[in-house]
Amino acid sequence: MTEEDAIFDPSLVKKKKKKKTTFDIDAVLAEGDSQETSSPVTVQETDPDNNAADGIDLDNDLDLENFGKKKRKKKKTGFNLDDLDAALPTATDEVVQGESEFVLDDESGAIDDTFDLGMKKKKKKKTEITELLKDNKENEELENVEDNAITWAGSDRDYTYDELLHRVFDIISEKNPDMAAGRKPKFVMRPPQVLRVGTKKTSFANFTEICKTLHRQPKHLLDFLLAELGTSGSVDGNSQLIIKGRFQPKQIENVLRRYIKEYVTCHTCRSPETILQKDTRIFFLQCESCGSRCSVASIKSGFQAVTSKRAAMRAKTA
Amino acid sequence: MSIQNLNTFDPFADAVGSANEDVQDGLVHIRIQQRNGRKTLTTVQGLSSNYDLKKIVRTCKKEFACNGTVIEHPEYGEVLQLQGDQRENICQFLTKTGLVKQDQLKVHGF
Ligand SMILES: [Zn+2]
Repeated sequence: MTEEDAIFDPSLVKKKKKKKTTFDIDAVLAEGDSQETSSPVTVQETDPDNNAADGIDLDNDLDLENFGKKKRKKKKTGFNLDDLDAALPTATDEVVQGESEFVLDDESGAIDDTFDLGMKKKKKKKTEITELLKDNKENEELENVEDNAITWAGSDRDYTYDELLHRVFDIISEKNPDMAAGRKPKFVMRPPQVLRVGTKKTSFANFTEICKTLHRQPKHLLDFLLAELGTSGSVDGNSQLIIKGRFQPKQIENVLRRYIKEYVTCHTCRSPETILQKDTRIFFLQCESCGSRCSVASIKSGFQAVTSKRAAMRAKTA
Repeated sequence: MSIQNLNTFDPFADAVGSANEDVQDGLVHIRIQQRNGRKTLTTVQGLSSNYDLKKIVRTCKKEFACNGTVIEHPEYGEVLQLQGDQRENICQFLTKTGLVKQDQLKVHGF
């Protein structure tokens, strides 16, 4: 035992010194006692365990202090990244979706439908068209059979509604192969990219791009947007429009749709291939497709209420 | 409904004045403006000066539970100004009372 003590003393002392920070000395002593009774080999075996335990405890301590912080930090950054990750794909998805569906076709019915940023109706129409086409094909087959059987000619029975309908669609698709294919000239436009700048301003990032796709002077669209939104703004160095006030993409989209309806699409045939000309202070919309020419409303911001701080205004004028 | 006080006017008279009036295009423009924060302001420009705008604003204030005022503008005449986004409300009110016809209304804004 004395030899063993002599051997293990330093280690024990070391242990104690080490453990003082984390463990009760009594516990260590107890451990030491138990270890003293056992063989040195086992003690040596248990030693690393204890050390390991100490290490874990120390780690735990660290956990509480440093690692916890790290974790928190990680969490924070992680959330941000997640948010970004979550936000980015959806945003791009939306953009992509928008691109695919921000579609204008020439001969859709209602005016509001022509620039359907809202998207859903278009889909329906597409499906309708495809369904009709399918129907047509089926009908063609049916009619071929019928024609072969000469059910129409010779008999004086009344045509059913379906038969007539199919006949009409058949004739239409026969006479207008382009239309039957469902390939009307389409006007694809990217949706406006609207971002908040700080708390009081809004950025319309692809403003210049949209002006180009609409073939309109940026100033004209700018005037319209600012007049409609009842605010002020300007195009900055990165060719993005900075608008004063907070606006949602949907709101900008609404205004843009109104602009397109009034100043881009032909009022007669709704074709977007138009030219805006200025003739003695009045703008005229000249259609390239049908040749119609009509005047369009001039852009006026009208009455503007005082919204800025009156004291500041007074200070400026005084 | 305290619209009775509007009955002193001829309901068949045009809401918007004829060409000689200060109104330019014969339309009633309803606009919205953003103030600080989420606050907004609705302006109604182009109502006929035959109407007593003060009475209209009094009714509107009660009806929409908002504050409002009439502003005299050198170019645009008397302009109605209401707190908040009252575009829907004012459109309904003006058409329902027959002050303005539906096709004379022009709503601006987002
Ligand atoms: Zn046209």
